[in-house]
Amino acid sequence: MEREKGMLETIAEILRATIAVGLVTAGILAILIWVKNLTRKLSALRLFIQIVSVAVIFLGLIIGPFGVAEWAYLGSAPKDIAIGKNILGRPYPDGLSVPTFACYYASGRTTTCVVWQLQSYIFPYWETSSTYLTTGLERLAIAFGLLVIMSLIFGRFFCGWICPFGLYMDLLTRLRKTLKIKHWSLSEKANEALRQSRYLIIAAFLILSVILGMRAIAGVELVSESELGRYLEMPFCQVCPAKPLFVLVEGALGYMNLDYALSQTIGDFALTGWYLTSINIIILGVVTVGSFKVRRLWCRICPLGGLIALFSRFGPFKRLSLIKLTKIEEKCTKCGICKRVCPTQVTEIYDKKGGDVTASDCILCFRCVEMCPYEGCLNVEVAGKTIYKSKNWLQEEEE
Amino acid sequence: MASEIETGTKYIPEMSKKEIEELGSSIKAASIKVIQENIERMKKTWHNRPKEMEYFDEISNFFGRREKEIREQKEAGKKVIGYSCMFAPIEFILAAGAIPVRVGSGWYDAAKLGDRIMPVEVCPVIRSTAGAKMINLSPYLELSDVIINPLTCDGRTKLSEILSDFKPVWYMTPPRVKDDPQSLSLWKEEMQEIRGKIEELTGTKITKNNLRSSIEVMQKATKAFRRLQDLRKGPPVITGRDAMLVNQTSLWDDIERWTQKTNELCDELEKRVEQKNWACPPDTSRVMVTGTPMLWPDSWKVPNLIEESNPQGVLVVDELCSGDRILYDPVGVDEWTMSDMFDAVSERYLMASTCPCFTSEHGNEDRVNWLLNRIKEYKVDGVIYYVVRGCILYAMEYARIKRILDRMGIPVYYLDTEYTREDVGQMKTRIEAFLEMLEARIDI
Repeated sequence: MEREKGMLETIAEILRATIAVGLVTAGILAILIWVKNLTRKLSALRLFIQIVSVAVIFLGLIIGPFGVAEWAYLGSAPKDIAIGKNILGRPYPDGLSVPTFACYYASGRTTTCVVWQLQSYIFPYWETSSTYLTTGLERLAIAFGLLVIMSLIFGRFFCGWICPFGLYMDLLTRLRKTLKIKHWSLSEKANEALRQSRYLIIAAFLILSVILGMRAIAGVELVSESELGRYLEMPFCQVCPAKPLFVLVEGALGYMNLDYALSQTIGDFALTGWYLTSINIIILGVVTVGSFKVRRLWCRICPLGGLIALFSRFGPFKRLSLIKLTKIEEKCTKCGICKRVCPTQVTEIYDKKGGDVTASDCILCFRCVEMCPYEGCLNVEVAGKTIYKSKNWLQEEEE
Repeated sequence: MASEIETGTKYIPEMSKKEIEELGSSIKAASIKVIQENIERMKKTWHNRPKEMEYFDEISNFFGRREKEIREQKEAGKKVIGYSCMFAPIEFILAAGAIPVRVGSGWYDAAKLGDRIMPVEVCPVIRSTAGAKMINLSPYLELSDVIINPLTCDGRTKLSEILSDFKPVWYMTPPRVKDDPQSLSLWKEEMQEIRGKIEELTGTKITKNNLRSSIEVMQKATKAFRRLQDLRKGPPVITGRDAMLVNQTSLWDDIERWTQKTNELCDELEKRVEQKNWACPPDTSRVMVTGTPMLWPDSWKVPNLIEESNPQGVLVVDELCSGDRILYDPVGVDEWTMSDMFDAVSERYLMASTCPCFTSEHGNEDRVNWLLNRIKEYKVDGVIYYVVRGCILYAMEYARIKRILDRMGIPVYYLDTEYTREDVGQMKTRIEAFLEMLEARIDI
């Protein structure tokens, strides 16, 4: 018996290693092919990078280590090995934060969503629990610092190219395209309202997180010192559409024990479980249906996107941010293609006369640059150097 | 009351059949002569003109191969839809299986006939089109089942009244401001209506499939045209008149065949670039024309003078609606759904257009920007701003454009003329003076 089990495990290990090696080889090959035709078919390249990013973010599902005691019911996160096990010589078990929906609640992630970390660390910031040997302020500084630095370097490139939830919406759009169903556009006013409300959402949930983190105000208990209380410290995550998506997908793929995820039900709050609240699932349903008809619906209201935009498109950050979209006024006939093809319906690229046209709603997917029919009219600049520019795409259609 | 208005609206006075026939045949003969003469003059400037140009010479004859083809296809049941202006959606016409032809007229003699019904202050393009109709001169106008007439300028607006004496005229009203929030939706409604009318006339429904294939046909034409334009960016491998002729034949030729022939011409020209076989000396002054459409054949007056004058000039690029406007801009479809294709086609004709009929609080910015970009990309030495009398929109934009070009140090010359051959001598002197000035600048 024992021997058989051991053999099975070895076989499973070999299989796993083969899959991992295969994936890495495929990735390298794809990158080589891409380098060959560096700027062709940007949309295809973007899909490829999105898929690779999902694989990297949830690398733990492929490479282990599995079955570590602390997170036994979920499987452990390989972040311990990959990145960030020790920061300043102290364990930092949540992993480094990356401003994408790399959901904390899903198994096997290598990084953590910064929204979870901010809510979790902001209050009580002085506490150093047994699992976090890093002090609260250090943790907060790391999460916030990484957010600012990554926003400055990549900006909302994360949203267009890396975010797994963005990929989910893009896949819905691709499905709609294959079915040849037309998309709806939001009115400019509605879009603007969504854009403004991002910051309200961030502020509201951070305040809520502090209040719920206090557990009690003036001696009146708000939430009990229970496990539920620990979850409510992260109030945004309980309404975020990404959480149930990843949990359900992992559950469906057998990576996550859904029985556990669904078991912790507590009456009053209408929870189906801490991992999948009913509010969560309703919002996911709305966003799914919505983004099937409206391209990248969630990105327009995403508070995380808003945070990245805050540190890359406004005030002094605007000048420091590395990736920029620029337009040369003279080459533009205002044909309106950039406005129509934009998945988040950004109008700045069309409206602005020239120069830096990066908008806070822009997810840097560069679809406009790909579709602009005028040579060099729209340009993607990284640190002042043009790496990709619009060109006469008619020439490539057949080649 | 109603009947009086109905009978009283005929613009064109009754002409006897004999007069129509006599005038018609004499002007037709004169026109054929002008076409041949123009081709001869083009051959004279460009000594080793490639044999690929012969196809375009043949198609350029209004009364030849193409007329016969359209007549045959019409007899076989195809509908012919004429359009007077570049705002008409060619993709829809092609998708419905009809033949699009542009019916604007460049006949000088016909303009004189137009004088009978309207004052000489009116733009000669309009007078000439009406005059051509009076004597049934234009074969494409005669063959059209219907005319799409976008009401871009005042002349065209009233022209539709004249033409509607003879055949159904469909109006399209482009908004005069591109950027107003309602402009695009108004234009889309206009497009939707035209689409319905085309479907009704042809009895063919415009579907996802046929619209997609017509969009792809036009994209290929744009691609071929851009290829030709790109060749003009370097030393002159083709004379401006020949490029303009290729360009204008696209307005009435079978577009797929035109694309193929243009690509063949480009193949030959690319070979010549390698051999450094230029159409004229590489240091020839590079001239751009912009303004009123220069319609084949009679309006070749100015291009002929520019490229035959001494010192010589070569037209490297134009910004004319008889030229690269619209054809240069592709339909950019994001998703191949009916609604997105429809939006893409609609936007192409409104938003990408740099017609002077548009305005905004900063002037017609798009056209100015486009001119500046052309000047840089094609290394233009001087601009000839060509305006025929009565072309108010182009004439009024001149002052602003001149100021901008002056500031950039680009010489610009306002060449005002008429649909007449009488001022050729005067034109020649003016053009020569301008080109001499350009040459002097180049020498420095």
